[in-house]
Amino acid sequence: MSEFTHLGSQLVNLCSVLLLLSSFAIVAQRRLSACVDLFALQSFFLATTAALVAFLTGHRHIYLAAALTVVIKVIVLPRILRKVIERLNVSRELVMNINIPAGLLICGGLVVVAFFITQPIIPLGYLLTRDSLAIALAIILIGFFTMIARKKAVTQMVGFLVMENGVFLGTTAAAYGMPLIVELGVFFDVLVAGLIAGIYTHRLQDAFDSVDTSELTALKE
Amino acid sequence: MTALLTVLLACYLLGGLLPLCTSRPQLQNTLAHGGAAAGGLTGIVLGLVGLFAAQPLTLSVPSNIPFLTFALRLDPLAAFFVLTISLAGLAASIYAQGYVSEYADRASIGVVGSLLNGFVLSMTLVVLADNGFFFLILWEVMSLLSYVLVVTEHERPGVREAGLFYLIMTHVGTAFIILTFVIFSQEAGSFSFDDFRHPDQRLPDGLRSIAFFTALIGFGAKAGIVPLHVWLPYAHPAAPAHISALMSGVMIKTAVYALIRVYFDFLEGVFPWWWGFTVLSIGAVSALLGVMYALMEHDLKSLLAFHSVENIGIILLGIGAGMIFHAYGLHELAALGLLAGLYHTINHAMFKALLFLGAGAVQFATHTRDIEEYGGLLRRMPWTGLFFLVGAVSIAALPPTNGFVSEWLVFQSLILSVQLPTLLLKLMLPIAAAILALTGALALVCFAKAFGMAFLAQPRSGHARQAVEVPVSMRVGMGILAGSCVLLGLAPMLVVPLLDRVTGPLTGVAISDKVLALDGWVVAPVTVEFSSISTPVLAALLVGAGLLGLLIARRLGKGVQARYTRTWGCGLPLTPRMEYTATGFVQPIKQVFETVYQPTVKLEREFLEQSKYFLRHQRVEFHTEPLFETYLYRPVVRKLLAVAERLRVIQVGSLHLYLTYIFVTLVLLLLWAG
Repeated sequence: MSEFTHLGSQLVNLCSVLLLLSSFAIVAQRRLSACVDLFALQSFFLATTAALVAFLTGHRHIYLAAALTVVIKVIVLPRILRKVIERLNVSRELVMNINIPAGLLICGGLVVVAFFITQPIIPLGYLLTRDSLAIALAIILIGFFTMIARKKAVTQMVGFLVMENGVFLGTTAAAYGMPLIVELGVFFDVLVAGLIAGIYTHRLQDAFDSVDTSELTALKE
Repeated sequence: MTALLTVLLACYLLGGLLPLCTSRPQLQNTLAHGGAAAGGLTGIVLGLVGLFAAQPLTLSVPSNIPFLTFALRLDPLAAFFVLTISLAGLAASIYAQGYVSEYADRASIGVVGSLLNGFVLSMTLVVLADNGFFFLILWEVMSLLSYVLVVTEHERPGVREAGLFYLIMTHVGTAFIILTFVIFSQEAGSFSFDDFRHPDQRLPDGLRSIAFFTALIGFGAKAGIVPLHVWLPYAHPAAPAHISALMSGVMIKTAVYALIRVYFDFLEGVFPWWWGFTVLSIGAVSALLGVMYALMEHDLKSLLAFHSVENIGIILLGIGAGMIFHAYGLHELAALGLLAGLYHTINHAMFKALLFLGAGAVQFATHTRDIEEYGGLLRRMPWTGLFFLVGAVSIAALPPTNGFVSEWLVFQSLILSVQLPTLLLKLMLPIAAAILALTGALALVCFAKAFGMAFLAQPRSGHARQAVEVPVSMRVGMGILAGSCVLLGLAPMLVVPLLDRVTGPLTGVAISDKVLALDGWVVAPVTVEFSSISTPVLAALLVGAGLLGLLIARRLGKGVQARYTRTWGCGLPLTPRMEYTATGFVQPIKQVFETVYQPTVKLEREFLEQSKYFLRHQRVEFHTEPLFETYLYRPVVRKLLAVAERLRVIQVGSLHLYLTYIFVTLVLLLLWAG
């Protein structure tokens, strides 16, 4: 392995770790607007990672994916989410299903699980980004966990997007990204999902006077 | 074939789409049913071409979807069913032209007509399909379209439940069909029927037997074999009459087609004798129970629906006997059994469709389906009465009609079991023949009831009194079928060679010259010495005997003054209340077969306060127990509901809990895999 690619690999790992840290920060954050900001930051790190990989490998289409990440996940989606928060007039999440210290501990456990699971796979890879796979899986699990732990629809949306970031990192790490057409499709899906979730949150507010998805139990029968 | 098929597709598709483009009911009616009729005519030609073609005609369009090719194959077996379906479809669509006005205020004529086109087209294509995947798609389309047609009158009580019941049963069946095809595709390596026929290596015996049972259950659910018949008496009567006619007359035959296709074509007719015996036993039970339940029905269309169970049983008796003979290498007898089954298939399609159309015509005129409210319709609706009588005589298998010919052939193939080498079968097949005989007798009682109560004597209700003959198009529709019934009965010499072309490739022998002795004037079960019969001669004898009687009466009665007067009623004026009721008519049979019916009688009496020797009024209720529903289906449904109730614990409606389920499953799976 040459010096250059070794350095590149280190940089990719660094960026991945920043992504992971930002997901921890999201788990630890009570303020909704801060959660959204952290998500934007995470997406920025993701875009950086993608650009780095594109630079190191010469796969041009990853640049495009990185640019789209910046546009959609750093700019558009956070804006939509902020609008939702403003309109709903909720700034903090006071009650959670799992409190923050316990949540952080569980997330730590999830990272261990992710590394444990990917351990036998990673040596098989030959890409310089292969180490990021464990981190990607950890981010997916943490995003999922956020959706379970939080009650407000907005943070659940953020959890979903964090999962998506994890998936994106995973594909970049494992295969230098998916074919461009698939990536475009995924971006479109995420955008639409964001819009739908925004509308859905409004409807939730109208119907239950709250964006707490626990209220949905009332729909049963 | 390509040209004919294109015309056929065009007819049905135009008939299906054009009516939706206009909003004038009259135009919709003409377009939809015109399209269906044209399609039916083309289908008849296509069927005949296929029957006479030297080689099976194939047509294949590849697709991008794995395993799926839009392959069609017109071999004699498929051609025969195309012919049957198209003939019934033609009659039904002509009939519908007049009949749908009954539904004008309840459903859109355009939509019903359009669905009719789709339904007939899907049935036609089902029997032509030559790829498992394509077949399943068409089968599903056929099932779903018929479901939608069943619930045409969804606002009437019971119709939606009937539809749902049908939907569930047909999908249970489809699940088993999918299983069958998956088993075949294991060895064949694809879903092409051609590969099913010639797999790389033969399936192991165990797997073949599983395929046998899954096919029997899967297609049996559609055919309505006992005990999978329970949906049939609910769903078939719920649909408009021309749809009932198609469902009962031909849709259930697609299952017969598929069974023959699977057993004789895919499994190459190589099977142990007990397969045939299973089919035969199911046929015997279905035939007997079908007619017995039909007897107790006083809803004309439900009665007919139960008779479909009976007739499917008779068809399976023929096919089952054929399978047994085939397993023992008695190929000529195998061909005879199969031929008898197929003959009954087209016969049943004709007379059952005719009877359903007749029932629809009666309902059209009286607006009720309860036999007890009919009476005296023959005077008011002579044409309908005549056609219904033709159908009733045929289904009751009275000579010289078509039902008689095919049931006689089934009989003969059962009795010829004396040629079988095993004692068990030598004993069992005549028992099946005895059951068939009982079935025939009960069917006769049933149609004596149906025709007698509906058409003879005095009207029992205001509805019946005000009945008038139905429009011409409905009469033409019924007339086509009645004509087919008579033709199929009187001209076996035309039908048997056609059927022989179907059974020949399946069993390996041609038997038409043996079945038709003396240039076709006599039908014999392969061996003339054993027994033989001739319907044209029988018909001539019957007519001759009638004429002779008339002649003698004229001769002897010369000089005797004929006197026309009312029936003597002991000095009282005759009222409809003096008439035999349908319930009373079958009371003896209810008594005899008490174990099957388990009748309950509820008697409510209210006396005058002053003395209990004077009744104020009394009320009697009869109920028969639907055995299979009570003892088979209800326990299963109850168990299912109990399990579902227990599973509800995990279904609390909390989003977070659901997410947790997914999350835990994901992590566990990852850990398990890692």
